[in-house]
Amino acid sequence: MITLYDYELSVNCYKQRLLLGILGVPYRRQPIDFFPGRQHHSEAFRQINPFGHIPVIDDDGYILADAHAILVYLATRYDPSGQWYPVADPHLLGEVASWMLVAEGTTSTASAARLHDTLGYEFDIDALRAGAHRLFRRLDDHVWFHERQGRPWMASAAHPTIADLALFPDVMLSDQGGISLLDYPALRRWTDRVKRIPGFTVMAGIYPA
Amino acid sequence: MSPETGWFPIASSDDLVERHVYLGQLLGRELAVWRADDGSVNVWDNRCLHRGVRLTLGSNEGGELVCRYHGWRYASRTAGCTYIPAHPGEAPGRTVCNVSHPAVEYGGLVWTTVDHGGPFSAPAGITERSVALRALPIDAPATTVRAALAEEIDRWSVDGSPVVAVVQPMDEHRCVVRPVLAEPPASCATIALDVLRHQHRLLAALRERVEVGIIATRSPAADLQRIQQRTPPRRPAPGTARTTIPVTVAARRDTAVGVRAVELRPVGGQLPTAQPGDHIDVALPNGITRQYSLVNAPGELDAYVIGVKRESTSRGGSAWIHDDLTVGDQLTISEPRHQFVLRRDSFRTLLIAGGIGITPLLAMAQALHANGLDFALHVFAQSAEHVPFGERLAGLGDTVVRHLGLDPAATAAAVTALLAGPGEGEHVYVCGPAPMIGAVQDAAAAAGWPAGSVHVEYFANPADTDTAGAFTVELARSATVIEVPAGTTLLDALRGHGVDVPSSCEQGTCGTCVVGVLDGRPLHQDVYLDAAEHAAGRLMTTCVSRAAPGTRLVLDLEP
Repeated sequence: MITLYDYELSVNCYKQRLLLGILGVPYRRQPIDFFPGRQHHSEAFRQINPFGHIPVIDDDGYILADAHAILVYLATRYDPSGQWYPVADPHLLGEVASWMLVAEGTTSTASAARLHDTLGYEFDIDALRAGAHRLFRRLDDHVWFHERQGRPWMASAAHPTIADLALFPDVMLSDQGGISLLDYPALRRWTDRVKRIPGFTVMAGIYPA
Repeated sequence: MSPETGWFPIASSDDLVERHVYLGQLLGRELAVWRADDGSVNVWDNRCLHRGVRLTLGSNEGGELVCRYHGWRYASRTAGCTYIPAHPGEAPGRTVCNVSHPAVEYGGLVWTTVDHGGPFSAPAGITERSVALRALPIDAPATTVRAALAEEIDRWSVDGSPVVAVVQPMDEHRCVVRPVLAEPPASCATIALDVLRHQHRLLAALRERVEVGIIATRSPAADLQRIQQRTPPRRPAPGTARTTIPVTVAARRDTAVGVRAVELRPVGGQLPTAQPGDHIDVALPNGITRQYSLVNAPGELDAYVIGVKRESTSRGGSAWIHDDLTVGDQLTISEPRHQFVLRRDSFRTLLIAGGIGITPLLAMAQALHANGLDFALHVFAQSAEHVPFGERLAGLGDTVVRHLGLDPAATAAAVTALLAGPGEGEHVYVCGPAPMIGAVQDAAAAAGWPAGSVHVEYFANPADTDTAGAFTVELARSATVIEVPAGTTLLDALRGHGVDVPSSCEQGTCGTCVVGVLDGRPLHQDVYLDAAEHAAGRLMTTCVSRAAPGTRLVLDLEP
């Protein structure tokens, strides 16, 4: 049984719950009091992840940290269809890796702005919001032109990949960091499509389509 | 800067994909824009009138938009509220309506006006054939952007077809540029991808130049002034029970033995929001007014559909509709009235229809089906040929059970079997002939169904009305005393004294004429109020109910 070291309001933990739910993989949630307890910085938690980040998974003794790395591991190990992390298709795999890096950017701008606004983290909020808008403009362009080519997802496949799941929570919850999606109609349409993936899981602030 | 008024684009037609709620902004006003499954486009203020939550967080269910916060449902086109989950037994008032704006689709764009901009006319150069290119938001005022566009738009043309760029002011600091290819070549159905990319690069480059040149001009004082200038929401006038809506008979056909389906379309404008179980008054040219239930499914907004059975004892209503009504005839109807209200918080709903009583239950079944709720529709009829609206029933699949050719005893037995065990949180709705309703009520009572879980609609009051005996009423608000003589209804006596009480069926079934009772004991003869309401004696129908001879009632005409 997989144990997910989890915080309900964390976008990065939610990414794991999304994929596990879609793949139908049973798991146990070990709640970490991220706020206000800062349990991820506790001595006990640093025994599990010295970097003091969540999420972390423990899959029968195999321990792995970092949200996007865990997505790669879970998809490769538990998705028999091979579509979520398409190792058999080098072109597609390259695109997925590229969008996963963009997701690192949206997490460190849009989702960081959300930490500032909701949990009082001391960040340069104007810089974070400007950075998020720069990325969202590129993403909206990409999705709009992809739609014109009959491609509903971030990578050029007929099916979603973990790149979609890595980006989705940052985009969906950006409003909580003072970043409106008003300027990004194509991105909003893509979020509807993600919400309609069978097995989709909600969290606080993210509702079904 | 002079204020901008009139019609502006709010979205591209392509933006409004199936079951999506688009987020837009025009002149400082945030808008929720959505397309119903029938293609119609709605432009509404982006706030639920209940608690102000953004409607763009809600769901487009095809014919209705559902607010995420408390589940209030709003109908396409009218923006009228159709259901409030916290009040499952009551119909929302007719004035419960979101703020909506006109919408026109033209030249690949969706246009609206938030300041009553008169009739729509497209800007020069845009035609019906124009195709929208990729729009971009720009962090600069509309006037600045228009000036920048004017310098170069002539050079953007594609193979001789000019590009027209319409600027949509989001607020005084920001806008969206919506370029369209004014006259696309007739040969190609869609614009080639490289043309789209090229046009996008031109606009993105313009955006970069304009945004670099913009000095931050935002001031909190200007923002506050803009917010204060916003117009208050418009509300439609409260409805009445009169037949004031002109409609045209768009179609009529036989849908079962002796049953005619009639489709009534509005003469211009939009039909009011209806809810499952609603009925309308139809005023016929021969001076008769009759009530008919709507069989409309959710999202079916172009016309009201009714089913009219030819009554052997017709007093001139159903016979006229069957013999004389033709396509193109104009009639007037009332706004839909809600007396038979469908709860959507039941774990399971049992709909029991006798004969033509199927009509309101069919509307309910279609709503429950569309909402994915658990229900069964039991149809009692003489034969398969006597069951109307077969095409609608077919769409409901195996939730429909037909009970054909049963005599009264067999009907009662079947009903008793259906109601054998009341489930927790189940509700029963029944409409049909009086003996069948009686059988349902008896069976439900015997099986222990709570009274509030059995909902009844009569076609007609089965009892003869007793008008013998004179009594006195006192009107509390106006301190008027009126004597009601034997042979005269309370309603007529009130009207004889110039007191206007709305009424409709005048046989104690519809509830339009209900008033409050402050003192005295009414003698109820209606079938509209339920047993508990009769026993409490705080309400009465004025068309059939009275008081014991020689006694006195004190009424409050606004219950």
